[in-house]
Amino acid sequence: MKKKQANKPIIEIVRATKIYPPDVVALEDITLSIPYGEMLFLTGMSGAGKTTLLKLICGIEYPDKGLVEVAGKDMNRIKANEIPRLRQQIGMAYQDFKLLADRTVAQNISMAMEVAYHNIRAIKNRVIELLQKLRLEHKYDALAGRLSRGEQQRVAIARAVANSPTLILADEPTGNLDSKTTKLVMKLFEDCNSSGTTVIIATHDEDIYRETDYRVLELHSGRFLAQEDMTTSTSNNMP
Amino acid sequence: MKFINTIAVQTGRNLQKTWPTQFMTLLTVTLSVLIFSFFFLIYTNIIKTGEKLGDDLRLTIYLEEEPVLEMQAQLVRKIINFSPVEEIRFTSRNDAFKRLATQLGDNVDVLDDLDASFLPPSIEIYPQKNLNTLAQIQRFSEYLSTLPGAVKVQYGQEWIERFNYFTKLLQIIVFLSGILLIMTATFMVAYTIRLAVVARQAELEILRLLGATNNYIRTPFLIEGFLQGLFGSSLGLLALFFLYRWIQLRFTGPGILQLVQFTFFSPAIICIIIFASISLCIGGSFSSMRKFMRI
Ligand SMILES: Nc1ncnc2c1ncn2[C@@H]1O[C@H](COP(=O)(O)OP(=O)(O)O)[C@@H](O)[C@H]1O
Ligand SMILES: [Mg+2]
Repeated sequence: MKKKQANKPIIEIVRATKIYPPDVVALEDITLSIPYGEMLFLTGMSGAGKTTLLKLICGIEYPDKGLVEVAGKDMNRIKANEIPRLRQQIGMAYQDFKLLADRTVAQNISMAMEVAYHNIRAIKNRVIELLQKLRLEHKYDALAGRLSRGEQQRVAIARAVANSPTLILADEPTGNLDSKTTKLVMKLFEDCNSSGTTVIIATHDEDIYRETDYRVLELHSGRFLAQEDMTTSTSNNMP
Repeated sequence: MKFINTIAVQTGRNLQKTWPTQFMTLLTVTLSVLIFSFFFLIYTNIIKTGEKLGDDLRLTIYLEEEPVLEMQAQLVRKIINFSPVEEIRFTSRNDAFKRLATQLGDNVDVLDDLDASFLPPSIEIYPQKNLNTLAQIQRFSEYLSTLPGAVKVQYGQEWIERFNYFTKLLQIIVFLSGILLIMTATFMVAYTIRLAVVARQAELEILRLLGATNNYIRTPFLIEGFLQGLFGSSLGLLALFFLYRWIQLRFTGPGILQLVQFTFFSPAIICIIIFASISLCIGGSFSSMRKFMRI
Protein backbone atom coordinates (compact mmCIF):
# COMPACT_ATOMS: atom_id res chain seq x y z
CA MET A 1 0.00 0.00 0.00
CA LYS A 2 1.30 3.39 -0.93
CA LYS A 3 0.49 6.57 0.85
CA LYS A 4 1.77 9.24 -1.45
CA GLN A 5 -0.48 12.20 -0.59
CA ALA A 6 1.12 15.25 0.86
CA ASN A 7 -2.01 16.40 2.62
CA LYS A 8 -4.24 14.10 4.61
CA PRO A 9 -6.67 11.93 2.64
CA ILE A 10 -10.40 12.24 3.27
CA ILE A 11 -10.64 8.50 3.95
CA GLU A 12 -7.94 6.41 5.56
CA ILE A 13 -8.69 2.79 6.32
CA VAL A 14 -5.99 0.59 7.80
CA ARG A 15 -6.43 -3.15 8.25
CA ALA A 16 -10.11 -2.83 9.07
CA THR A 17 -12.19 -5.90 9.78
CA LYS A 18 -15.95 -5.99 10.24
CA ILE A 19 -17.68 -9.05 11.65
CA TYR A 20 -21.45 -9.13 11.93
CA PRO A 21 -22.67 -11.20 14.82
CA PRO A 22 -22.40 -14.05 15.25
CA ASP A 23 -19.56 -14.71 12.79
CA VAL A 24 -20.23 -13.20 9.36
CA VAL A 25 -16.95 -11.71 8.21
CA ALA A 26 -18.15 -8.93 5.92
CA LEU A 27 -14.78 -7.17 5.57
CA GLU A 28 -11.37 -8.53 6.39
CA ASP A 29 -8.10 -6.67 6.71
CA ILE A 30 -9.09 -3.81 4.41
CA THR A 31 -6.57 -1.06 3.78
CA LEU A 32 -7.54 1.91 1.65
CA SER A 33 -6.69 5.55 1.26
CA ILE A 34 -8.75 8.04 -0.71
CA PRO A 35 -7.55 11.60 -1.25
CA TYR A 36 -9.87 14.61 -1.30
CA GLY A 37 -11.53 15.07 -4.69
CA GLU A 38 -11.14 11.55 -6.04
CA MET A 39 -13.89 9.62 -7.76
CA LEU A 40 -13.69 5.84 -7.62
CA PHE A 41 -15.64 2.66 -8.10
CA LEU A 42 -16.05 -0.07 -5.53
CA THR A 43 -17.04 -3.28 -7.21
CA GLY A 44 -17.61 -6.90 -6.40
CA MET A 45 -20.32 -9.50 -6.36
CA SER A 46 -23.36 -9.22 -4.23
CA GLY A 47 -22.33 -9.98 -0.66
CA ALA A 48 -18.73 -8.94 -1.25
CA GLY A 49 -18.93 -6.24 1.41
CA LYS A 50 -19.43 -3.03 -0.60
CA THR A 51 -22.33 -1.74 1.45
CA THR A 52 -20.56 -2.60 4.67
CA LEU A 53 -17.53 -0.60 3.62
CA LEU A 54 -19.70 2.44 2.89
CA LYS A 55 -21.42 2.03 6.25
CA LEU A 56 -18.07 2.05 8.02
CA ILE A 57 -17.22 5.29 6.26
CA CYS A 58 -20.39 7.12 7.29
CA GLY A 59 -20.42 5.78 10.82
CA ILE A 60 -23.47 3.52 10.65
CA GLU A 61 -21.27 0.54 11.47
CA TYR A 62 -17.96 0.44 13.28
CA PRO A 63 -14.91 -1.72 12.52
CA ASP A 64 -14.16 -4.55 14.92
CA LYS A 65 -10.46 -4.30 14.17
CA GLY A 66 -8.33 -1.71 12.50
CA LEU A 67 -8.73 1.99 11.84
CA VAL A 68 -11.30 3.94 9.86
CA GLU A 69 -10.57 7.63 9.63
CA VAL A 70 -12.89 10.03 7.82
CA ALA A 71 -11.94 13.69 7.39
CA GLY A 72 -9.33 13.19 10.09
CA LYS A 73 -11.78 11.65 12.57
CA ASP A 74 -11.19 8.19 13.98
CA MET A 75 -14.63 6.63 13.65
CA ASN A 76 -14.08 4.39 16.65
CA ARG A 77 -13.31 7.35 18.87
CA ILE A 78 -15.60 10.01 17.44
CA LYS A 79 -17.81 11.75 19.98
CA ALA A 80 -21.54 11.29 19.68
CA ASN A 81 -22.08 14.99 19.12
CA GLU A 82 -19.58 15.09 16.25
CA ILE A 83 -21.41 12.49 14.20
CA PRO A 84 -24.24 14.77 12.97
CA ARG A 85 -21.81 17.37 11.67
CA LEU A 86 -19.80 14.67 9.88
CA ARG A 87 -22.90 13.09 8.37
CA GLN A 88 -24.04 16.43 7.02
CA GLN A 89 -20.79 16.41 5.07
CA ILE A 90 -21.41 12.92 3.70
CA GLY A 91 -24.21 12.34 1.21
CA MET A 92 -25.12 8.68 1.05
CA ALA A 93 -27.53 7.22 -1.51
CA TYR A 94 -28.69 4.00 0.13
CA GLN A 95 -29.15 0.78 -1.73
CA ASP A 96 -32.65 0.53 -0.23
CA PHE A 97 -33.23 4.30 -0.76
CA LYS A 98 -34.54 5.00 2.77
CA LEU A 99 -37.18 7.42 1.53
CA LEU A 100 -40.33 8.41 3.42
CA ALA A 101 -43.15 6.96 1.35
CA ASP A 102 -45.77 9.39 2.67
CA ARG A 103 -43.76 12.51 1.88
CA THR A 104 -43.42 14.22 -1.46
CA VAL A 105 -40.31 13.96 -3.57
CA ALA A 106 -39.43 17.56 -2.74
CA GLN A 107 -39.88 17.01 1.01
CA ASN A 108 -37.68 13.92 0.93
CA ILE A 109 -34.86 15.75 -0.81
CA SER A 110 -35.28 18.85 1.37
CA MET A 111 -34.68 16.92 4.57
CA ALA A 112 -30.99 16.64 3.80
CA MET A 113 -30.71 20.43 3.65
CA GLU A 114 -33.12 21.20 6.47
CA VAL A 115 -30.96 19.40 9.00
CA ALA A 116 -28.19 21.82 8.02
CA TYR A 117 -30.58 24.77 8.53
CA HIS A 118 -30.51 26.09 4.98
CA ASN A 119 -33.19 28.63 4.28
CA ILE A 120 -36.40 27.60 2.63
CA ARG A 121 -35.87 29.40 -0.68
CA ALA A 122 -32.34 28.02 -1.15
CA ILE A 123 -33.64 24.53 -0.47
CA LYS A 124 -36.43 24.88 -3.00
CA ASN A 125 -34.11 26.16 -5.71
CA ARG A 126 -31.64 23.37 -5.12
CA VAL A 127 -34.38 20.72 -5.22
CA ILE A 128 -35.73 22.04 -8.51
CA GLU A 129 -32.25 22.18 -9.99
CA LEU A 130 -31.50 18.57 -9.03
CA LEU A 131 -34.86 17.27 -10.22
CA GLN A 132 -34.26 18.92 -13.58
CA LYS A 133 -30.86 17.31 -13.88
CA LEU A 134 -32.40 13.92 -13.18
CA ARG A 135 -35.48 14.51 -15.37
CA LEU A 136 -37.86 14.29 -12.45
CA GLU A 137 -39.14 17.87 -12.30
CA HIS A 138 -42.72 16.73 -12.98
CA LYS A 139 -42.60 14.58 -9.82
CA TYR A 140 -41.87 17.50 -7.46
CA ASP A 141 -45.12 17.07 -5.55
CA ALA A 142 -45.58 13.33 -6.05
CA LEU A 143 -45.52 11.06 -3.00
CA ALA A 144 -42.27 9.10 -2.89
CA GLY A 145 -44.19 5.88 -2.22
CA ARG A 146 -46.02 6.19 -5.55
CA LEU A 147 -42.90 6.34 -7.69
CA SER A 148 -41.34 3.51 -9.67
CA ARG A 149 -38.13 1.97 -8.34
CA GLY A 150 -36.08 3.84 -10.89
CA GLU A 151 -37.64 7.15 -9.90
CA GLN A 152 -37.16 6.45 -6.21
CA GLN A 153 -33.53 5.65 -6.89
CA ARG A 154 -33.02 9.04 -8.47
CA VAL A 155 -34.76 10.77 -5.56
CA ALA A 156 -32.37 8.99 -3.19
CA ILE A 157 -29.43 10.19 -5.29
CA ALA A 158 -30.77 13.74 -5.39
CA ARG A 159 -31.06 13.72 -1.59
CA ALA A 160 -27.49 12.47 -1.23
CA VAL A 161 -26.21 15.28 -3.41
CA ALA A 162 -28.54 18.05 -2.22
CA ASN A 163 -26.54 19.43 0.70
CA SER A 164 -23.42 19.72 -1.50
CA PRO A 165 -21.46 17.33 0.72
CA THR A 166 -17.68 16.89 0.56
CA LEU A 167 -18.12 13.16 0.20
CA ILE A 168 -20.75 11.27 -1.79
CA LEU A 169 -21.31 7.57 -1.20
CA ALA A 170 -23.56 5.94 -3.77
CA ASP A 171 -24.62 2.36 -3.12
CA GLU A 172 -25.71 0.66 -6.34
CA PRO A 173 -26.98 3.96 -7.76
CA THR A 174 -27.89 2.53 -11.15
CA GLY A 175 -29.37 -0.78 -10.08
CA ASN A 176 -32.85 0.12 -11.26
CA LEU A 177 -32.08 2.48 -14.12
CA ASP A 178 -32.10 2.13 -17.88
CA SER A 179 -28.96 3.07 -19.78
CA LYS A 180 -30.18 6.57 -20.62
CA THR A 181 -31.00 7.47 -17.05
CA THR A 182 -27.78 5.84 -15.89
CA LYS A 183 -25.91 8.35 -18.02
CA LEU A 184 -27.78 11.23 -16.37
CA VAL A 185 -26.86 9.96 -12.94
CA MET A 186 -23.22 9.38 -13.84
CA LYS A 187 -23.09 12.86 -15.33
CA LEU A 188 -24.40 14.28 -12.05
CA PHE A 189 -21.69 12.46 -10.08
CA GLU A 190 -19.02 13.63 -12.50
CA ASP A 191 -20.24 17.21 -12.15
CA CYS A 192 -20.05 16.93 -8.39
CA ASN A 193 -16.58 15.43 -8.65
CA SER A 194 -15.28 18.13 -10.95
CA SER A 195 -16.35 20.74 -8.43
CA GLY A 196 -14.16 19.01 -5.87
CA THR A 197 -16.41 16.46 -4.21
CA THR A 198 -15.04 13.02 -3.40
CA VAL A 199 -17.33 10.38 -4.91
CA ILE A 200 -17.40 6.66 -4.14
CA ILE A 201 -19.70 4.51 -6.21
CA ALA A 202 -20.37 0.98 -5.08
CA THR A 203 -21.72 -1.13 -7.94
CA HIS A 204 -21.78 -4.50 -9.56
CA ASP A 205 -22.86 -2.94 -12.87
CA GLU A 206 -19.87 -3.51 -15.09
CA ASP A 207 -21.17 -1.17 -17.78
CA ILE A 208 -20.62 1.97 -15.78
CA TYR A 209 -16.95 1.41 -14.97
CA ARG A 210 -15.70 -0.74 -17.85
CA GLU A 211 -14.14 2.08 -19.82
CA THR A 212 -13.50 4.51 -17.04
CA ASP A 213 -10.28 6.25 -16.10
CA TYR A 214 -11.26 6.38 -12.46
CA ARG A 215 -9.80 3.98 -9.93
CA VAL A 216 -11.71 0.71 -9.61
CA LEU A 217 -11.41 -1.39 -6.45
CA GLU A 218 -12.81 -4.88 -6.45
CA LEU A 219 -13.96 -6.56 -3.29
CA HIS A 220 -14.16 -10.31 -3.07
CA SER A 221 -15.60 -11.89 0.05
CA GLY A 222 -14.60 -8.92 2.12
CA ARG A 223 -11.07 -8.54 0.76
CA PHE A 224 -9.62 -6.46 -2.01
CA LEU A 225 -9.05 -8.72 -4.96
CA ALA A 226 -6.15 -6.79 -6.37
CA GLN A 227 -3.92 -3.90 -5.45
CA GLU A 228 -5.53 -0.50 -5.21
CA ASP A 229 -3.88 0.94 -8.27
CA MET A 230 -4.70 -1.96 -10.51
CA THR A 231 -7.01 -1.12 -13.33
CA THR A 232 -9.96 -3.10 -14.53
CA SER A 233 -9.60 -6.84 -14.63
CA THR A 234 -13.09 -7.92 -13.92
CA SER A 235 -13.57 -10.99 -16.04
CA ASN A 236 -15.31 -13.04 -13.35
CA ASN A 237 -17.45 -10.21 -12.02
CA MET A 238 -21.10 -11.14 -11.78
CA PRO A 239 -23.79 -8.54 -12.23
CA MET B 1 -32.69 32.91 12.65
CA LYS B 2 -32.35 30.01 10.20
CA PHE B 3 -32.51 27.67 13.15
CA ILE B 4 -35.72 29.26 14.39
CA ASN B 5 -37.29 29.16 10.92
CA THR B 6 -36.43 25.56 10.29
CA ILE B 7 -37.61 24.49 13.72
CA ALA B 8 -40.85 26.44 13.35
CA VAL B 9 -41.58 24.72 10.04
CA GLN B 10 -40.77 21.36 11.57
CA THR B 11 -43.01 21.99 14.58
CA GLY B 12 -45.86 23.16 12.36
CA ARG B 13 -45.56 19.99 10.33
CA ASN B 14 -45.66 17.80 13.44
CA LEU B 15 -48.70 19.58 14.84
CA GLN B 16 -50.48 19.25 11.52
CA LYS B 17 -49.92 15.53 11.58
CA THR B 18 -50.78 14.79 15.19
CA TRP B 19 -53.36 17.44 16.00
CA PRO B 20 -56.14 15.09 17.20
CA THR B 21 -53.95 13.71 20.00
CA GLN B 22 -52.48 17.13 20.64
CA PHE B 23 -55.98 18.53 20.98
CA MET B 24 -57.02 15.85 23.45
CA THR B 25 -53.94 16.56 25.53
CA LEU B 26 -54.65 20.27 25.42
CA LEU B 27 -58.17 19.63 26.69
CA THR B 28 -56.87 17.46 29.50
CA VAL B 29 -54.35 20.04 30.59
CA THR B 30 -57.03 22.74 30.39
CA LEU B 31 -59.43 20.71 32.46
CA SER B 32 -56.94 19.87 35.18
CA VAL B 33 -55.77 23.48 35.41
CA LEU B 34 -59.43 24.49 35.67
CA ILE B 35 -60.14 21.99 38.46
CA PHE B 36 -57.04 22.88 40.39
CA SER B 37 -57.40 26.64 40.08
CA PHE B 38 -61.11 26.43 40.91
CA PHE B 39 -60.38 24.92 44.31
CA PHE B 40 -57.35 27.09 44.77
CA LEU B 41 -59.43 30.20 44.09
CA ILE B 42 -62.02 29.17 46.64
CA TYR B 43 -59.29 28.38 49.11
CA THR B 44 -57.53 31.74 48.79
CA ASN B 45 -60.85 33.56 49.13
CA ILE B 46 -61.86 31.56 52.18
CA ILE B 47 -58.52 32.28 53.79
CA LYS B 48 -59.01 35.96 53.09
CA THR B 49 -62.52 35.87 54.51
CA GLY B 50 -61.23 34.06 57.55
CA GLU B 51 -58.76 36.82 58.15
CA LYS B 52 -61.49 39.38 57.90
CA LEU B 53 -63.75 37.47 60.27
CA GLY B 54 -60.79 37.22 62.59
CA ASP B 55 -60.74 40.99 62.65
CA ASP B 56 -64.28 41.00 63.96
CA LEU B 57 -63.57 38.35 66.55
CA ARG B 58 -65.05 39.18 69.92
CA LEU B 59 -65.07 37.25 73.15
CA THR B 60 -67.86 37.91 75.59
CA ILE B 61 -67.59 37.11 79.30
CA TYR B 62 -70.89 36.96 81.14
CA LEU B 63 -70.62 37.96 84.77
CA GLU B 64 -72.54 37.09 87.92
CA GLU B 65 -72.51 40.55 89.36
CA GLU B 66 -72.06 44.01 87.95
CA PRO B 67 -68.38 44.80 88.76
CA VAL B 68 -67.62 47.94 90.65
CA LEU B 69 -65.06 50.34 89.12
CA GLU B 70 -62.23 49.00 91.22
CA MET B 71 -63.10 45.46 90.19
CA GLN B 72 -63.27 46.54 86.52
CA ALA B 73 -59.73 47.89 86.68
CA GLN B 74 -58.53 44.65 88.24
CA LEU B 75 -60.20 42.57 85.52
CA VAL B 76 -58.66 44.70 82.77
CA ARG B 77 -55.23 44.23 84.31
CA LYS B 78 -55.68 40.46 84.49
CA ILE B 79 -56.88 40.23 80.86
CA ILE B 80 -54.07 42.39 79.50
CA ASN B 81 -51.55 40.39 81.48
CA PHE B 82 -52.56 37.24 79.65
CA SER B 83 -52.83 38.65 76.16
CA PRO B 84 -52.77 42.18 74.78
CA VAL B 85 -56.12 43.28 73.38
CA GLU B 86 -57.46 46.05 71.17
CA GLU B 87 -60.38 47.00 73.32
CA ILE B 88 -62.28 45.97 76.44
CA ARG B 89 -65.85 47.14 76.88
CA PHE B 90 -68.06 46.69 79.92
CA THR B 91 -71.78 46.26 79.42
CA SER B 92 -74.08 46.73 82.40
CA ARG B 93 -77.51 45.07 82.81
CA ASN B 94 -79.15 48.28 81.67
CA ASP B 95 -76.93 48.70 78.59
CA ALA B 96 -77.65 45.11 77.58
CA PHE B 97 -81.37 45.67 77.97
CA LYS B 98 -81.27 48.86 75.86
CA ARG B 99 -79.27 47.15 73.15
CA LEU B 100 -81.76 44.31 72.97
CA ALA B 101 -84.61 46.82 72.76
CA THR B 102 -83.03 48.58 69.78
CA GLN B 103 -82.31 45.25 68.12
CA LEU B 104 -85.98 44.25 68.47
CA GLY B 105 -87.12 47.55 66.90
CA ASP B 106 -90.89 47.43 66.30
CA ASN B 107 -91.26 44.30 68.39
CA VAL B 108 -90.01 46.07 71.47
CA ASP B 109 -93.31 45.46 73.30
CA VAL B 110 -92.33 41.84 74.10
CA LEU B 111 -89.97 43.33 76.68
CA ASP B 112 -92.77 45.33 78.37
CA ASP B 113 -93.43 42.88 81.18
CA LEU B 114 -89.80 42.08 81.81
CA ASP B 115 -87.50 43.50 84.43
CA ALA B 116 -84.58 45.47 82.97
CA SER B 117 -82.22 43.33 85.06
CA PHE B 118 -82.94 39.92 83.47
CA LEU B 119 -79.89 40.16 81.17
CA PRO B 120 -76.49 39.50 82.73
CA PRO B 121 -73.75 42.11 82.72
CA SER B 122 -70.81 41.29 80.44
CA ILE B 123 -67.33 42.22 79.26
CA GLU B 124 -66.63 42.32 75.53
CA ILE B 125 -63.04 41.75 74.49
CA TYR B 126 -61.68 42.52 71.02
CA PRO B 127 -58.38 40.68 70.78
CA GLN B 128 -55.45 41.79 68.67
CA LYS B 129 -55.09 40.50 65.09
CA ASN B 130 -52.26 38.14 65.89
CA LEU B 131 -54.67 36.00 67.85
CA ASN B 132 -55.94 33.97 64.91
CA THR B 133 -55.57 30.24 65.38
CA LEU B 134 -58.33 28.24 66.88
CA ALA B 135 -56.01 26.88 69.59
CA GLN B 136 -54.97 30.36 70.70
CA ILE B 137 -58.55 31.52 70.89
CA GLN B 138 -59.50 28.43 72.88
CA ARG B 139 -56.67 28.98 75.37
CA PHE B 140 -57.60 32.63 75.80
CA SER B 141 -61.23 31.74 76.33
CA GLU B 142 -60.32 29.10 78.91
CA TYR B 143 -58.30 31.66 80.82
CA LEU B 144 -61.09 34.20 80.69
CA SER B 145 -63.54 31.72 82.21
CA THR B 146 -61.29 31.49 85.31
CA LEU B 147 -61.61 35.23 86.01
CA PRO B 148 -63.47 36.03 89.24
CA GLY B 149 -67.18 36.39 88.65
CA ALA B 150 -67.14 34.92 85.16
CA VAL B 151 -70.09 32.65 84.40
CA LYS B 152 -69.55 31.83 80.79
CA VAL B 153 -67.32 32.84 77.84
CA GLN B 154 -68.67 32.99 74.31
CA TYR B 155 -66.95 33.62 71.00
CA GLY B 156 -69.02 31.73 68.42
CA GLN B 157 -67.06 28.54 69.13
CA GLU B 158 -69.08 26.32 66.87
CA TRP B 159 -68.85 28.60 63.91
CA ILE B 160 -65.14 29.14 64.19
CA GLU B 161 -64.47 25.45 64.62
CA ARG B 162 -66.51 24.60 61.56
CA PHE B 163 -64.76 27.24 59.57
CA ASN B 164 -61.50 25.83 60.71
CA TYR B 165 -62.37 22.29 59.56
CA PHE B 166 -63.68 23.65 56.30
CA THR B 167 -60.41 25.37 55.48
CA LYS B 168 -58.52 22.21 56.40
CA LEU B 169 -60.72 20.20 54.04
CA LEU B 170 -60.16 22.75 51.30
CA GLN B 171 -56.45 22.53 51.88
CA ILE B 172 -56.60 18.80 51.21
CA ILE B 173 -58.72 19.28 48.10
CA VAL B 174 -56.34 21.92 46.75
CA PHE B 175 -53.44 19.61 47.46
CA LEU B 176 -55.10 16.66 45.72
CA SER B 177 -56.15 18.65 42.67
CA GLY B 178 -52.62 20.03 42.50
CA ILE B 179 -51.31 16.49 42.32
CA LEU B 180 -53.95 15.72 39.69
CA LEU B 181 -52.70 18.68 37.68
CA ILE B 182 -49.11 17.56 37.93
CA MET B 183 -49.90 13.98 37.00
CA THR B 184 -52.18 14.74 34.07
CA ALA B 185 -49.96 17.44 32.66
CA THR B 186 -46.79 15.38 32.81
CA PHE B 187 -48.25 12.03 31.90
CA MET B 188 -50.58 13.20 29.15
CA VAL B 189 -47.90 15.29 27.51
CA ALA B 190 -45.37 12.50 27.89
CA TYR B 191 -47.89 10.12 26.35
CA THR B 192 -48.66 12.38 23.40
CA ILE B 193 -45.00 12.97 22.72
CA ARG B 194 -44.42 9.26 22.94
CA LEU B 195 -47.10 8.64 20.34
CA ALA B 196 -45.58 11.32 18.15
CA VAL B 197 -42.11 9.81 18.52
CA VAL B 198 -43.37 6.34 17.65
CA ALA B 199 -45.36 7.68 14.71
CA ARG B 200 -42.26 9.42 13.41
CA GLN B 201 -39.79 6.61 14.10
CA ALA B 202 -38.95 6.10 10.41
CA GLU B 203 -38.49 9.81 9.89
CA LEU B 204 -36.32 10.21 12.97
CA GLU B 205 -34.08 7.38 11.84
CA ILE B 206 -33.58 8.98 8.44
CA LEU B 207 -33.00 12.37 10.03
CA ARG B 208 -30.19 10.86 12.07
CA LEU B 209 -28.64 9.35 8.97
CA LEU B 210 -28.80 12.73 7.27
CA GLY B 211 -26.94 14.32 10.17
CA ALA B 212 -29.72 15.95 12.21
CA THR B 213 -28.42 17.12 15.58
CA ASN B 214 -30.15 16.24 18.84
CA ASN B 215 -31.37 19.81 19.06
CA TYR B 216 -32.91 19.62 15.62
CA ILE B 217 -34.85 16.52 16.62
CA ARG B 218 -35.62 17.53 20.20
CA THR B 219 -36.64 21.16 19.93
CA PRO B 220 -39.93 20.65 18.05
CA PHE B 221 -41.09 18.21 20.74
CA LEU B 222 -40.11 20.62 23.49
CA ILE B 223 -41.98 23.41 21.72
CA GLU B 224 -45.03 21.16 21.55
CA GLY B 225 -44.80 20.64 25.31
CA PHE B 226 -44.38 24.38 25.83
CA LEU B 227 -47.44 25.16 23.72
CA GLN B 228 -49.51 22.52 25.53
CA GLY B 229 -48.59 24.09 28.86
CA LEU B 230 -49.11 27.67 27.72
CA PHE B 231 -52.44 27.20 25.96
CA GLY B 232 -53.74 24.55 28.35
CA SER B 233 -53.22 26.70 31.43
CA SER B 234 -54.37 29.92 29.74
CA LEU B 235 -57.59 28.30 28.55
CA GLY B 236 -58.16 26.74 31.97
CA LEU B 237 -57.73 30.07 33.73
CA LEU B 238 -59.87 31.82 31.15
CA ALA B 239 -62.65 29.29 31.70
CA LEU B 240 -62.33 29.81 35.45
CA PHE B 241 -62.53 33.56 34.99
CA PHE B 242 -65.77 33.24 33.04
CA LEU B 243 -67.15 30.92 35.70
CA TYR B 244 -66.18 33.48 38.32
CA ARG B 245 -67.87 36.32 36.45
CA TRP B 246 -70.99 34.22 36.00
CA ILE B 247 -71.18 33.43 39.69
CA GLN B 248 -70.65 37.08 40.53
CA LEU B 249 -73.50 38.14 38.27
CA ARG B 250 -75.83 35.43 39.54
CA PHE B 251 -75.21 36.10 43.20
CA THR B 252 -74.90 39.85 43.46
CA GLY B 253 -77.09 41.58 45.95
CA PRO B 254 -77.54 40.74 49.63
CA GLY B 255 -76.49 37.24 50.53
CA ILE B 256 -73.52 35.07 51.39
CA LEU B 257 -71.25 36.52 48.73
CA GLN B 258 -71.76 39.95 50.12
CA LEU B 259 -70.25 38.69 53.32
CA VAL B 260 -67.55 36.76 51.48
CA GLN B 261 -65.80 39.32 49.28
CA PHE B 262 -64.92 37.11 46.31
CA THR B 263 -61.89 38.17 44.25
CA PHE B 264 -60.03 36.61 41.31
CA PHE B 265 -56.33 35.61 41.29
CA SER B 266 -53.75 38.37 41.25
CA PRO B 267 -51.63 38.68 38.07
CA ALA B 268 -48.69 37.21 39.98
CA ILE B 269 -50.64 34.05 40.87
CA ILE B 270 -51.87 33.76 37.28
CA CYS B 271 -48.28 33.95 36.01
CA ILE B 272 -47.15 31.34 38.51
CA ILE B 273 -49.90 28.91 37.48
CA ILE B 274 -49.10 29.36 33.76
CA PHE B 275 -45.38 29.08 34.36
CA ALA B 276 -45.77 25.94 36.47
CA SER B 277 -47.97 24.33 33.82
CA ILE B 278 -45.44 25.10 31.09
CA SER B 279 -42.62 23.64 33.17
CA LEU B 280 -44.60 20.48 33.84
CA CYS B 281 -45.47 20.00 30.18
CA ILE B 282 -41.91 20.57 29.00
CA GLY B 283 -40.76 18.16 31.70
CA GLY B 284 -43.21 15.54 30.44
CA SER B 285 -42.07 15.94 26.86
CA PHE B 286 -38.44 15.76 27.92
CA SER B 287 -38.84 12.59 29.97
CA SER B 288 -40.69 10.96 27.09
CA MET B 289 -37.92 11.78 24.65
CA ARG B 290 -35.23 10.47 26.94
CA LYS B 291 -37.04 7.18 27.10
CA PHE B 292 -37.92 6.76 23.46
CA MET B 293 -35.23 8.51 21.50
CA ARG B 294 -31.96 7.45 23.10
CA ILE B 295 -31.02 11.09 23.49
N1 LIG C 1 -26.67 -6.45 9.39
C1 LIG C 1 -26.08 -7.59 8.99
N2 LIG C 1 -26.06 -8.64 9.82
C2 LIG C 1 -25.45 -9.78 9.46
N3 LIG C 1 -24.83 -9.95 8.29
C3 LIG C 1 -24.81 -8.93 7.42
C4 LIG C 1 -25.44 -7.71 7.72
N4 LIG C 1 -25.27 -6.84 6.70
C5 LIG C 1 -24.56 -7.53 5.78
N5 LIG C 1 -24.30 -8.78 6.19
C6 LIG C 1 -23.52 -9.80 5.48
O1 LIG C 1 -22.24 -9.25 5.22
C7 LIG C 1 -21.80 -9.59 3.94
C8 LIG C 1 -21.52 -8.34 3.12
O2 LIG C 1 -22.73 -7.69 2.87
P1 LIG C 1 -22.82 -6.32 2.09
O3 LIG C 1 -21.84 -5.40 2.63
O4 LIG C 1 -24.24 -5.88 2.11
O5 LIG C 1 -22.43 -6.76 0.61
P2 LIG C 1 -22.69 -6.02 -0.77
O6 LIG C 1 -23.18 -4.66 -0.50
O7 LIG C 1 -21.37 -6.05 -1.47
O8 LIG C 1 -23.70 -6.83 -1.49
C9 LIG C 1 -22.88 -10.46 3.33
O9 LIG C 1 -22.53 -11.82 3.51
C10 LIG C 1 -24.11 -10.11 4.15
O10 LIG C 1 -24.95 -11.22 4.21
MG1 LIG D 1 -24.87 -3.77 -1.05
